[in-house]
Amino acid sequence: MKILRVAAVSLGSILKHKVRAFLIVLSLVVGIAALTVIVSMTEGANKMIMKRIQNFGPDAVMVHSGGGKMRGPSTVSEANLTKKDIADIQDLDGVKIVSPFQVSLDMPVKYGNQFTTSWVMGVEPSWQDAWRRGAVKGEFITDSDNEQLTKVCVIGQTAMKELFGTTDPIGESILIENVSFKVVGILQKVGQSPVGTDFDNLILIPFSTASRRLMNQPLYISMARVIVNNPSQGGKVAGEIKDVLRANHHLSATEEDDFRLTTVEEISKMIKGTSQTLHLFLWLVAIIAPLVGGIVLMNIMLMAVGERTREIGLRRALGAKKKHIVFQFLSESVFLTFTGGVIGVGIGVAVVMLLAHSGKPVSVSGPAFMMAFAFSVLIGLIFGIYPARKAAELDPAKAISQK
Amino acid sequence: MIEFKDITKSFVSGALKTDVLKGVTFKIKKGEFVSLMAPSGTGKTTLLNILGCLMQATSGSYLFEGVDITTMDDDHLSNIRNKKIGFVFQTFNLLERTSALDNVLLPLVYTDVYPADATKKGIGLLESVGLKERVNYKPSELSGGQQQRVAIARALVNDPAIILADEPTGNLDSTSAQEIMGIFKTLHSQGRTIIIVTHDINVARSAEKIIFLKDGRVEKEEVAK
Repeated sequence: MKILRVAAVSLGSILKHKVRAFLIVLSLVVGIAALTVIVSMTEGANKMIMKRIQNFGPDAVMVHSGGGKMRGPSTVSEANLTKKDIADIQDLDGVKIVSPFQVSLDMPVKYGNQFTTSWVMGVEPSWQDAWRRGAVKGEFITDSDNEQLTKVCVIGQTAMKELFGTTDPIGESILIENVSFKVVGILQKVGQSPVGTDFDNLILIPFSTASRRLMNQPLYISMARVIVNNPSQGGKVAGEIKDVLRANHHLSATEEDDFRLTTVEEISKMIKGTSQTLHLFLWLVAIIAPLVGGIVLMNIMLMAVGERTREIGLRRALGAKKKHIVFQFLSESVFLTFTGGVIGVGIGVAVVMLLAHSGKPVSVSGPAFMMAFAFSVLIGLIFGIYPARKAAELDPAKAISQK
Repeated sequence: MIEFKDITKSFVSGALKTDVLKGVTFKIKKGEFVSLMAPSGTGKTTLLNILGCLMQATSGSYLFEGVDITTMDDDHLSNIRNKKIGFVFQTFNLLERTSALDNVLLPLVYTDVYPADATKKGIGLLESVGLKERVNYKPSELSGGQQQRVAIARALVNDPAIILADEPTGNLDSTSAQEIMGIFKTLHSQGRTIIIVTHDINVARSAEKIIFLKDGRVEKEEVAK
């Protein structure tokens, strides 16, 4: 009962000091809204990244030409994988598919007056199984295309949109670096790669045509995608591939690899590494923003204790115990920060909804909002306790006689 | 009822020690109306604070209804202030922006009295001090005399053992002062124990006994004429 009565006193006091209450609530609203939005954004980004990692394929190992720490695809200019390498990898236990391909980035592509740049890959039919992706319309690259070095292509949907707009591209001819290719199929849409590359801005041509007619790389292969039988064996198979390639490339123990292997573990490590830095920063902002609100609260409450010294003295004289004064001021702080939390989460949710509506990767999650509420109450407790204790520790005899 | 035995109070500030009360001894019986007459600067406020359990004495003993409270902790002293003492201050000490009724009910916030009972009692008390029509007025809407009457109603709300008034007419004009002293006399006639601390001999003479303080000690006690 006493607790309820003292809480009612707190509420009454808030209503009597509306400007002060407004300023405290406002400082919390900004912080908690920021926290809500940032948490939703980082969660959204995390989900998107997990989806992209899933897109990479949990059972895939990418073999890149060229060593070093460079990331991204290896182009034909650095190609150093041989046909023997590919055959030896295929012979390893646990390997299901090996699909070699040539890559050239940002090649100029033209159709009529339309011009764009696109990744061009020289592929074998096994590419479809290795990437779980084929033609949604028309044909894919066939073995006979590879044998006959035909100049046909399967076009990705971004490149298609750039060049053809709404026109059906099948049967049309495009120029890739001034070599004419006939479009035979449209590639299934897939979205972005784990690192955010647009995998639909892509044109596939036969492997042999790429090697001999377009990219001038008849001897070496730039990349291969390996699919293992058992996803949990990915790391083990990658180790065996490493041994095979080091032996084939005659690398001594002191020499570094002249190739790179990427597994799903590494991809997720890499993406999480970069996104973690950003997320850490965002989290810092998200936590600091309400803390600033807490500091404002503490400041204003300390001022309030100063202004209300006489009232505190009077309450003590009339029988309030120290704990009653602590509770009165602490509950004032918590009422205010909780109100700030409710409004802040409300505004935050509205912003998140708007972002979601505009297609931004945000995640509207209940626990995150509950956390924001809890955080606002916690701030009231943490930053309210010092002013409250200060109020309770006032000497009642001195406080009541203060002018 | 109240017994001060050789109460001293010293304040230390740095190396400087000031003895404000140097051994105050007196008794006040239940139902008495006593004035503590002390010129300014003779420890009047200190005496009031100790008497009102807002401050502990440096030495000596203070018996309140036979219980020595000189060693009591803060919570017990708060309880005594809440249940046994009704304060009336020179400057009224009402909460601004708070109705007369809520001011009267302030001590009950820290008790277990039911809100409905409390409100009934508060209204009754305001009525008894002639403020029936002013229950919802804020202090700023009341005259000095009316504010002091609210303060007296507040002092009575817990049925205290003593009413302790500090220069209750100090901020009032003579008419209001007479009205307030009249209320104290009425309360006394109803059997209440009243202690008024004052430096004004005319106010002091309203009581039945005057205890004179000088230089931190009791100079003399006399029956008021």
